[in-house]
Amino acid sequence: MAAPRTELPLRPLAWACAAFAGGVLLHLDRVPAWASLASFALILWRLAAARRRVWLPGALARALLALGMAAVVLARFHTLNGLTAGTTLLLLMAALKLLETRNARDELVLVGAGFFLLLAACLDRQQLVRTPLYALQAWVCCAAIGSIATPALGSRAAVRLAGRALLIAAPLAVALFLFFPRLPGAFWAIPRGGAALTGLSDAMTPGSIMQLVADYSTAFRVRFAGPRPAGAALYWRGPVLHDFDGRTWRRPAEVFRTRQRPEYLGEAVHYRVALEATRQRFWFALDLPARSPAARVFLTYDYQLLAADPVMEAVSYEAVSYLHTRALEPLNPGGRREDTALPAGANPRTLELAQRLYQRAGGDAAYVSAVLGYLRSGGFVYSLEPQPLGRDAVDELLFRTREGFCGHYASAFVTLMRAAHVPARVVTGYLGGEWNPVGEFLEVRQADAHAWAEVWLEGRGWTRVDPTAVVAPERLRRGVLDLMPQAFSASERLLYGSPWLLALMQRWDAANAWWGDHIVKFDLASQLDLLARLGVPTPEARYLGWAFMGALLAWLALIGWQMGRGARAARPDELARAYLRLCRKLARVVPARAAHQGPLEYSQVLQSARPPLREGGELLARYAQLRYGPQREAHRHAGEVSAFVRAVARLRVPPRTA
Amino acid sequence: MSARATAGASRRWHPLEPLARALRARVARWVRRRQGEDALPVTLARRRLYILPTRGGVAFAALTFVMLLAGLNYTNSLALFLTFLLAAFALVVMQQCHGNLLGVSVLGVSAPAVFAGRPAAVHVVLGNGAAGERLALEVALDDTPVVTGAAAAHARLRLQLPLPPQARGVVRIERLRISSAHPFGLFRAWTWVHTPLELLVYPAPAGRLPPPAQDAQRTGARPRSGTDLDEWLGLRPFRDGDSPRQVDWKAYAREAPLLVKEYQPAGSELLLFDLAQVPGAEAEARLSQLARWIVDAEAAGDRYGLTVPGTRVPPARGPEQRHRCLAALARVGFGPARGAP
Repeated sequence: MAAPRTELPLRPLAWACAAFAGGVLLHLDRVPAWASLASFALILWRLAAARRRVWLPGALARALLALGMAAVVLARFHTLNGLTAGTTLLLLMAALKLLETRNARDELVLVGAGFFLLLAACLDRQQLVRTPLYALQAWVCCAAIGSIATPALGSRAAVRLAGRALLIAAPLAVALFLFFPRLPGAFWAIPRGGAALTGLSDAMTPGSIMQLVADYSTAFRVRFAGPRPAGAALYWRGPVLHDFDGRTWRRPAEVFRTRQRPEYLGEAVHYRVALEATRQRFWFALDLPARSPAARVFLTYDYQLLAADPVMEAVSYEAVSYLHTRALEPLNPGGRREDTALPAGANPRTLELAQRLYQRAGGDAAYVSAVLGYLRSGGFVYSLEPQPLGRDAVDELLFRTREGFCGHYASAFVTLMRAAHVPARVVTGYLGGEWNPVGEFLEVRQADAHAWAEVWLEGRGWTRVDPTAVVAPERLRRGVLDLMPQAFSASERLLYGSPWLLALMQRWDAANAWWGDHIVKFDLASQLDLLARLGVPTPEARYLGWAFMGALLAWLALIGWQMGRGARAARPDELARAYLRLCRKLARVVPARAAHQGPLEYSQVLQSARPPLREGGELLARYAQLRYGPQREAHRHAGEVSAFVRAVARLRVPPRTA
Repeated sequence: MSARATAGASRRWHPLEPLARALRARVARWVRRRQGEDALPVTLARRRLYILPTRGGVAFAALTFVMLLAGLNYTNSLALFLTFLLAAFALVVMQQCHGNLLGVSVLGVSAPAVFAGRPAAVHVVLGNGAAGERLALEVALDDTPVVTGAAAAHARLRLQLPLPPQARGVVRIERLRISSAHPFGLFRAWTWVHTPLELLVYPAPAGRLPPPAQDAQRTGARPRSGTDLDEWLGLRPFRDGDSPRQVDWKAYAREAPLLVKEYQPAGSELLLFDLAQVPGAEAEARLSQLARWIVDAEAAGDRYGLTVPGTRVPPARGPEQRHRCLAALARVGFGPARGAP
């Protein structure tokens, strides 16, 4: 049973479809592929139906389809209340709505869906690179509204009209954006689900960091308040792993231990970190952070920054670290127990090696040196493509494959330490970073992910030991890329190998950093800062309100004046003014010229005057010649117009005789 | 107020309908008082333009508000900027919509007389003096469908508002509504132009009675030179196509405008119709009979006059006479023409 429908004009319908399709495209990599495909299929179906008579489903079929789609979304996401699930549902429902589009209002609903998809995309991702897409989508949606409202409008005209309106709107939008008072907090939260993005996690198998090495996306950016520490000191501390099952290192479940207070040595390093969204709870700081940078972020007993909530949006924070520390108190027994535990029966050859080396060394510090010496001279190779390891991963690494990277060596080193009852733990994080001279910040990428070890030495406390550094000392001075060029594809090598492209890349990174710092993170504090810079002595939120209202009113007045000017008729020229003056003079004697009367017709009216206004009639005829005559251009050049003006000025109209 | 007998487009009954109607009438009175009566041509000025969001505009505002809440809640700069961009866009659209109507001039409004039962129309001429095109100008009476048109730059737009067939009489059209939702349809600007207009609806010619016997007394008739048998009717202004022999050259020599002497062809009749003398009980049927006779007399080239209560049309012929007589019939029971004493 086909739904009865009246044919809609094709152009507005096509525009509505374009606005919706644009919204779908923005979410192409977020919603399941079948949902996008279904949307595009429904769009094509509807457009085909508009071109020629193709069957469209009736109300019952549509209802069944809607229920079916909601059920599929529910089955896939187990909720309808998340950004991705909600977006998917919105997408499918709007596509279904398309099938019953019968009038302009239905089309507007579709454009509304396009706007909502755009909003969802803005909430989801705010990268600089995506903003042109968002702007384009807003433009398409506005053009669609224009086309729907005035179907007679051509597509180009609709695009121009929308573009013009948006351009005029942009300055006001900027003013509103700057001055509209922001709220200090959220009033409600919807679950932002989904798996963790790329980045470090709370578990490490020997090969897991490998996945990050080829990921060139930014983990965080750092601006130092003072001088930048040397590259070899840039250990960015992340998750600290204690639990080992012979193969995988894990962060323990939430345990509470007292923090071993260290003595901070040397100068404090002050810096600001702009962390990208990770959907993990880890914040990063230079080894060793002195305090928590924000409320609801804890400095744990093992000196990692752990937030109460996952990082769903890019966040930036001030942090303070000291590069050198010393223990003030002995390691508490709980901590010692935790960091000397090893799984029973795993890696037996490693345990045996540890016994041998420790007996020879005789002390903890000497044992650390001995193990490092063993790694340096044992024929170990730094490799980003090591052979896979079996169940006793450390045994296989030390005695069979002898190749690996940071994760492998950190794991092996800590195992060797613990086998000799020296407290040790694995620390993951990032090492180094790329200095961007354009933006003057340090860019730390996922590819800089690193793992190292910490050992408890009596009198010194937790001491950082990087076993990778003895296997491959270059890793400290240079990035992974320089070390392992074959890990990157040819195009990436070309990109990062050319100084010109590298400079371009750095500029782009700087632009991204500026975008993140000044646009994405524009909040109440930034607004007050702006007010202060504009010269407001005591910036307060209410001044923002005043600035907001002022900008709005000023803009409205300006635009109103501008538009009114365009709508008014053009100012009459010299000739027309003289003509109007002539008519006014004549109207003292004869009836005023009616709007429909031309100069010649009006001159007939002059006949009725007593005595007749011959001179006036001649001037009217002259005006008709100057304005409409075949030689009007020649007359104009010959100064006839000013002669006419003078003649009109000289004209004496005799008073009316009764 | 209005004597129009037309029923508007049948609206669905709504519980608030009487209230809404009372409100509309009240607003109409207020606007009429505020704007006064208009003399054409009228150029639409700011003072008389009204503007409100359409349903689409309200929906757009709701959408923007939801975006604002989402943006504020997550302190999401892009969502907020999008919100402000759309809000500013709506304000621009409001100005553009207002500007689309501002400066439009209403040059002429007319309602040609029609016979009862025939489709009628109101003709409207709008002028665009600005350098830009004005799209989607809508004109409507209080209860007729909207007629839309576009006026190019420095051009005129002629629109015909179709009216349903009317009953005999005088349809008084109090006001005209000119509106536009262009561009984007988020706002609709409108104004009312109060140009009192009368649509004369002649009685439909009908009836089979023979015309009354020819009257013997020939008032105002006197022989005149030219063709001796023709009858001199009077002077009228010169029109293209008139024979120069008929021009009153003597009067022209006295500096009068060109006038033409009119004669009644010999052999035609003089008919005097009087409503009081038409037999029959039903008033409208008698008026229709008179209309029949007048139309026939005009077609036959006869001279004819008409007497209805309160009005007497002296005998003459020609299209103007026909209109005078039929108009007198249309006005029976509807009072004198507006502006007449």
